[in-house]
Amino acid sequence: METNIESLPKSGKTNRTKRAIVFLLSFSFTLALVSFCFLNSEVFKEVAMSFYSYPDHDGGLVEKDSIQLTKQFVSTQKKVVILQKKIESLAPSNPYLIINTTNNTFVLRTRKGIIREGFCSTGSYTLLDAGDSLQWIFKTPKGMFRVQGKLVDPLWVKPDWAFIEEGLPVPPKNHPDRYEYGTLGDYALSLGHGYLIHGTLYQRFLGLPVTHGCVRLGDDDLKEVYNKLVEGSRVYIY
Amino acid sequence: MSMQISSILLKVKAISFKLKSAISTIPLKSVIIFFILQLAVLSVAFVVFGVLPVHREVKSISNFLESKPLQDKQELTKSNSELVRKILGSEHHEAFLKSNILLSKSDSISLLIDLKDSLAILTFKGVSLFETKITSISFNKGLKKLPLFLLDSLYSGPFVATEEISSIEKFPIVIKKAPKDTLEANLLNAAPILPRQSDVFYLFAFENSMTVEIVQQEKNIVGSRSSFRNYKKAKSKWIRNRNLNFLVKADQKGYTYQLSIKIPREDARSIYRALPIKPVVVVRY
Repeated sequence: METNIESLPKSGKTNRTKRAIVFLLSFSFTLALVSFCFLNSEVFKEVAMSFYSYPDHDGGLVEKDSIQLTKQFVSTQKKVVILQKKIESLAPSNPYLIINTTNNTFVLRTRKGIIREGFCSTGSYTLLDAGDSLQWIFKTPKGMFRVQGKLVDPLWVKPDWAFIEEGLPVPPKNHPDRYEYGTLGDYALSLGHGYLIHGTLYQRFLGLPVTHGCVRLGDDDLKEVYNKLVEGSRVYIY
Repeated sequence: MSMQISSILLKVKAISFKLKSAISTIPLKSVIIFFILQLAVLSVAFVVFGVLPVHREVKSISNFLESKPLQDKQELTKSNSELVRKILGSEHHEAFLKSNILLSKSDSISLLIDLKDSLAILTFKGVSLFETKITSISFNKGLKKLPLFLLDSLYSGPFVATEEISSIEKFPIVIKKAPKDTLEANLLNAAPILPRQSDVFYLFAFENSMTVEIVQQEKNIVGSRSSFRNYKKAKSKWIRNRNLNFLVKADQKGYTYQLSIKIPREDARSIYRALPIKPVVVVRY
């Protein structure tokens, strides 16, 4: 750069300006080049990595002859089979239910295979804000649950949020307005903490996240789930 | 207004004239020196930003290798070499299954990435909850060059993600104000409020300088491109910070092992939302 500037003729103000411009341009170019290189470090690293290599490492296996190697291979294969069986045994032996809260789908299955699969509705992730620090978040809990009870023709005891959501005044506890038959479908399976797997009047919303935390199933699916799951059966929600 | 524009145009003209005359007077020798200098800068940048972090990483891996028993490749016959390869593969599978059993004792959903069978699996207490086919797998050179023996012991897992970048929210919460009366409620409840669906890209970074990126296989971007752009920006920022830290801190690793897989968009969304904030990931190569 110095040579560049020195080589310019020094004749007055114009030349000084010219030199300054050239210097500034060169400096900016260099700075831009360095920044560009920094921003593309990953490309440089990949190029640099192509110049390196590691020797193959056999973990000391090379010292063994073919008989020993075959024995070791058979032994590792056996271990793999044992481990695979152990993993298979971790799944429940009775029918169990898996619920996907993102896609709003369910799978009723056993260790051996799928019994039934289809759409369901799960928590809407809506935060209902009623002011005065009154808030509810409608989400389906995730994890492993067990069926704690099975009900036929379940009765819905409407909680406060059900009235607030409808713009109605909240009645006192045990008020007749709180009890509603038919809303939850023909069957319900309790998962604890007030969460149920139940039916729905809004079949068109199956496959969408629209519930207040419970899991809604279509009529036929609910019947199958009700028949196959017993108290204590596992329900996985993710 | 037009006066202002013409004065600006005049200024631009004057500057460009000065620039032109300044450049035209530069002797050829200076131009050559300038380019040589730029080449030197480029070379130094390649060493500092490229060779140095890679060299440090390779050195640490080589030290690890030296601590293991050495072998002489020439002693192996073709059939024995094949057997050794099979044994290593089988041992790696065994390690993967052992990790799966280990994870079954935890209370969190984990992600198993089986590159051999091209499957991404969500597992909880040993039960496979969800499986999806991986449609595309890509590694960077660092991972590609590592022998299986090292992949198994260093980059297979289980790992707990220390950082994550994502184009989607973990919890797609929609806020709804309580209606004042039944009339307002009827209007509000006429149709369900559904969370906005966007494109799915996410990256988990682990303590051992490895990243696992999960990318939607669909090329078409749904809705606005903002979530995709924000993800790209966040990822670039994260890489920049890492590179900067490497230059500043002596103990910082400069090379990142990158694994990227493509799966269908909705499956990728399900996996991301099912996993806890700092998920555990296991990879089978």
